[in-house]
Amino acid sequence: MSFTGPLSIITLVPLLSGLILLVLPNVLPSDISARMKASVRNVAIGLSSAIFLLTTLIFVGTIGQIDWLSIGMGDYVLETEDPVWLIESIGVTWHLGTDALSFPMIWLTTLLIPISMLVQWDAKDGHSFHSLLLIMEGALIGVFVSLDLFVFYIFWELTLVPMFFLIMIWGGEDRKYASMKFFIYTFTASVLMLVGILVMYFNTVADPNYAGTLTGHHFNLVLMTEQSRVDGLITSEGLRHFVWLLLLIGFATKMPSVPVHTWLPDAHVQAPTAGSMLLAGVMLKMGAYGFLRIAVAMFPESTLTFVPLLVFLGMASLVYGAVVCLGQTNLKRMVAYSSVSHMGLIFLGIATMQPLGFAGALFMMFAHGIISPLLFAVAGSFKHHYHTLEIGSMRGIAHHSPFLAGHMMLGWMGSLGLPLLAGFVAEVAIMIAFWMTFGWWVLLPALTLIFTALYYLTSMQKMIFESDDPHKGKLPDTMHDEEPRDVTWHENAGMFVLGALTILFGILPFIFWDMMSAWSTEFVQTYLVHAMNMLEVSP
Amino acid sequence: MILSSSEATAMAPEMAILVGILLAILVPNLGDAKARIPLTSFKFPILWGGTRFEITSDPRAPGIISTVSLAVACILSLYAIESSEGKTISGVMEITGFGRFMSMVFTAALAITAAASIYRIPSTKITVDDAKDADERITLSLMDNRRQVDLHILLMMVALGMSLMALSTNLFFLIVCLELASMASYVLVGFHKESRIGGEAGVKYFIVGSIASATGIYGMSLLYLWAGSLDFAGLSASWAAMDTLDPLAGIGVGLMLVAFGFKVSAAPFHFAAPDAYSGTNAPIAGMLATASKAMGFVAMMRVLVGFAAPNEAVTAWAPALGVLAIITMTWGNLAALSSENPKRMLAYSSVAHAGYMLAALAALGSGLADSNTQDLLQMAIVFHLSVLVLFKMGAFLVLTLLEMEGTGRSISDMNGLARRDPIIASSMFVFMLSLAGIPPLSGFLSKFLMINGLVTTTTDTGAVTATNAMSWLQSVDPYFLLALAIVLNSALSLFYYLRIGLLMFFEEPVSDSSLPKAPLLRVAILVSMVLTVLFGLGPASEWLLSLVETAISTF
Repeated sequence: MSFTGPLSIITLVPLLSGLILLVLPNVLPSDISARMKASVRNVAIGLSSAIFLLTTLIFVGTIGQIDWLSIGMGDYVLETEDPVWLIESIGVTWHLGTDALSFPMIWLTTLLIPISMLVQWDAKDGHSFHSLLLIMEGALIGVFVSLDLFVFYIFWELTLVPMFFLIMIWGGEDRKYASMKFFIYTFTASVLMLVGILVMYFNTVADPNYAGTLTGHHFNLVLMTEQSRVDGLITSEGLRHFVWLLLLIGFATKMPSVPVHTWLPDAHVQAPTAGSMLLAGVMLKMGAYGFLRIAVAMFPESTLTFVPLLVFLGMASLVYGAVVCLGQTNLKRMVAYSSVSHMGLIFLGIATMQPLGFAGALFMMFAHGIISPLLFAVAGSFKHHYHTLEIGSMRGIAHHSPFLAGHMMLGWMGSLGLPLLAGFVAEVAIMIAFWMTFGWWVLLPALTLIFTALYYLTSMQKMIFESDDPHKGKLPDTMHDEEPRDVTWHENAGMFVLGALTILFGILPFIFWDMMSAWSTEFVQTYLVHAMNMLEVSP
Repeated sequence: MILSSSEATAMAPEMAILVGILLAILVPNLGDAKARIPLTSFKFPILWGGTRFEITSDPRAPGIISTVSLAVACILSLYAIESSEGKTISGVMEITGFGRFMSMVFTAALAITAAASIYRIPSTKITVDDAKDADERITLSLMDNRRQVDLHILLMMVALGMSLMALSTNLFFLIVCLELASMASYVLVGFHKESRIGGEAGVKYFIVGSIASATGIYGMSLLYLWAGSLDFAGLSASWAAMDTLDPLAGIGVGLMLVAFGFKVSAAPFHFAAPDAYSGTNAPIAGMLATASKAMGFVAMMRVLVGFAAPNEAVTAWAPALGVLAIITMTWGNLAALSSENPKRMLAYSSVAHAGYMLAALAALGSGLADSNTQDLLQMAIVFHLSVLVLFKMGAFLVLTLLEMEGTGRSISDMNGLARRDPIIASSMFVFMLSLAGIPPLSGFLSKFLMINGLVTTTTDTGAVTATNAMSWLQSVDPYFLLALAIVLNSALSLFYYLRIGLLMFFEEPVSDSSLPKAPLLRVAILVSMVLTVLFGLGPASEWLLSLVETAISTF
C-alpha cells in the first residue's frame, strides 16, 4: 500500500487531476481547448463527488471494515505500512493514516468541495476556478492524512497557493490587499512552525525503519508521538515550552485566534463564495487539527502549563469576536468575526483538559465546518443578487427571496447554537466541560453566547423581516430598480444540502460524536493524565 | 606526447573544452578564400579567410559552439564521477570523483551562461557593405561575431581553469588554475565596455581581485617557507606534525583565506561583488554567483579541510571562520533588504549564502564532528553549491530576459511580471522560495543538511538538558549558535525574497509588451525550475545526494 491506498487516492487524484485540468486547456490547440474548458466543471464536480462517495464508503465500513469506535489516540487506520521513501537521506516518508481526529475533517473536505463547486457553478473562467478547487481539495486532505511532518508541512503550505489565487483572481474590489495579507500572515506563521518542527526533528531518536540514512532522525509523526509519550520528545523543559509556543503561533494564526486574526475578515470579505466556504469550513480547522495533533499530543506537559494562556486566548477570541460582530454592517465581515468567536470556543474546549471538552472541540470543528460554509454561501448569494453586503441597506428578504431567507434563518440559528442544530451539541459539551474544570467561571463564556444571539437576531430582524411595505420590502440602492430574484438552482441545492446536514447532525450527533468521544477519552487518559501526574495537578 | 592516451581519456571533459576553444577560434574565420598554385592560374579553396560564409559569420555560432562543448564536458564529467579511480597526472592533478563532480557543476553553470549570453550579446546582422563611410566601416566590422567569439572563448577559459583547479593536488597548480579562471572572469565582468558602469565594474573587480590574489600568493609563499613543499600531501603531513601553531603556517593559511574569501564573496572581502554583479550583464553575474563561488569554496575546502584540518593540538581557523560566517550572512541579508537593484539584491543574497556555507565549514574545523558528521557537512556544502547552479542561475536568467528588453536595473521592473508572463514569473517565484529555503525545494534540502550537520556536531555539548534560557546559553556550544544564526538569517531573508514575489504578482506592470522570445533561454529557465523542485524531494534528490556522497568519499 504505497501510493495506491484509499487515502493516497483521495489525496493525489484531486491534486493531479486539478493540475492537469488547469494546465491542459492552456497548451492544447484553441478549438479543442474551448470544448475542454466547457466541460472542466463537469469533470471536476464528478470527480469530487466520486471522492466524497469513496470517503463515505470508508466511513460506513465498506472499504477497510473499520470500527471507528475502537480507534484511540495513537492508533491509525488505513496506515501506510512499509516506509515509502521520499527523501531517504533525511528520513522523509510518504506515511498516511487517519483516526477520529482527522477523519471527520477529511469527510467534511470531500463534502464541501462539490458543494462549493455547485454554489459557484457559474464562476467566471470556470475551467481554472473549478480545477483550482480540486487542487485545494488534494492539498487540504493531504494536511489531514499525512503522518509525516515534512509532508504535512508541504501540504500545509500548498493549501495557500490555490486559496491565494482564488482570492487574487476571483475576489472583490480590495482583493489584492486581502490576498497579500492572507499570504503574509499565514506564511510567516507557518515558517515559525517549521522552526518548531525542525527542533522536534533533531530530538528524535534513530529508528531502524524510518530514520534518515544521513541524519539518523525522522519526520514520522507516529514515532514522535510514541517517543514523547514514553520519554518525552524534548527533555529540556525550556526548549519544550519554546517549541510549543512556536507551534502555537503557527496554528493560532491559522485558526485564527486573537491577536493574530486580522487577516481573516479581510480575506473572507474579498474571497469568492467558494473560497470563503473552504476557508471557514476547512482551512481554519487545520489550525485546531495541527494544534491537537502536534502541540497537545507531543507536549502535554507544556499544554498543561500554558492552560491559562489557552483560556485567555479562547476567551479573548470569543468575546472580541462577538463584540465586534455587534458593530458590523457588512454581512460577510460579521460572519467572519463570528468564526473568530467560535474558534475561541475550540481553544476553551481544549483548555478544559476533559474528555468531554476535547470531544466538544472536535465536534465544534466539524459543526462549524458545516454551518459556516452555509453562512458564507448565504452571504455569497446575497451579494450575488443584491450587489451589496450592507446589512442595513435593505429590508424584508423574506418577501422577495423566500428561499434565501429560509437558508439564512437556518444558518443563523445553527450558528447561534439553537438546540437540535449541530452547533448546539458542541457548545453544550464545551460549556459542561468548562464548568467541570473551572467551576462557575463558565458564566463568562456562557454569557458571551448571549452576544452571539444578539447580533444574529438583530441582523436577521433587520434584513429578513422588518419592512415598511409588507408586500415588497425595501431594496438596496445598488439594485438600480432591478426586479428582485430568488437564489439560483445551484446555490439553492448547495445550501439545501448544508442546511439538511446542520439539522441531521443536530438530531443525530452520534454519527461522529461517538468516535470523537472515544478518541478523546483515550487521549486524555493515556497522554494527559500521565502529564498531569508528572506535574502533580489534578484535572 | 605530453599526455598518454589513457591520461587524455581521463581528462576528456577538459579536452572537450579545449576542442571548443579551438573551434571557436577556427570556425568564425572560415571563408571562401582561395589560394593559387604558383605559376599556374589554378585556384583551390583553402577556406581560411576571405569573405566568410553565412553560417561562420553568424553571431550565434560562437555561442552555440561553446554551449555545446561545455554541455559535452558536463555530461562527460557526470559519467566520470563514478568511474574515476584517482589517476595521477603530471604529479599535480588527480582525477577523483570529487574533482569530476565539481567540473560537472562548473561546466553546467558555464554552459547555461554561454547559452544565455547568445541572447545577451545579440548582434544585428550588418555587413560591411552597409557602411556609409570608412569610419563606419570599421565600426560595423566590429559588430559581426568577433565580439561573441571573444566572450565565449573567455567563458571556456573560465571553465577550463575551474575544472583543472578541482583536480589539482598541488597548491601552486591550484593557484595557477584559479588565476586562469579569475583573469578570464575579470575581462568578462568588464565586457560591456559601451556602458560606463560595465567598465567601472570590470576595473573594480579586477583591482580588488588581483590584490586578493596577490595576498593569497604571498600566503602560499609563507606556506612554502614553512613546509618546503606545496604538495597537499606534504603540507598535510607538516600540519599534522605541528605541536603548536607555527606562525608561518597560521599566517599563510590566513592570507590564503583572503584570496578565497574574495572568490566566495565573504564579508569583509565582498565589497566588489555587488558592483561587479550589477555592472556586468546578468548571465555573467550568474556565473560569478554560482561557478565562481563554487570555485572559491572548493579551493577553501582543499586548503582548510585538505591539509589544515584540525589535529588535536591545533584548531586554528574554525572560530575565526565562524565569526566571519555570522558577519557574512547577516551583512548580506541586511544589505539585500535595502537593495533596489535586483542584481545587487541577488549579489547580497549570494553573500548571505556564502555565510551559510562558511558556517558549515567552520563546524568542520571545530574538531567536534565525528567522521560521519564531517562527511555530512561537506556533502551539505557541495550539494548547496550544485543546486545553487539551478536556482541562483535561474534567477539571473530571468533577469537576462528583462535585460534583453532594456529593463532589469531597478527592482520595480519586476512589477506585474506575472501578468506579462505567468510562467516566467512563477519560475522566478520558485527560485526565490528556493533561495529562501522553503520546503520542499532543493534550497531547503541543502540548508537543512547544513543545519543538521551543525546540530549534530554540537549535539553532545549539553544544550538539550538545560531548563531555562540562561543555563541553556551557558551550556550550549558556540558552534550551535551558527545553526541558530542560519535559521534567523533565513527568516530575515524571506522578506526580500518574498518582496520580489509580491511585486511580480501584485503591482501593475510597467509595460504590457510581452517579454522577448529567446527560446533557448526560456527552456533553460524552465529546466532550472523543474530541477529546483525535483532535487528537493523524491528520487531525483536521492540520486544527486548519492552522487555527492560518492564525490565526497574521494575528496
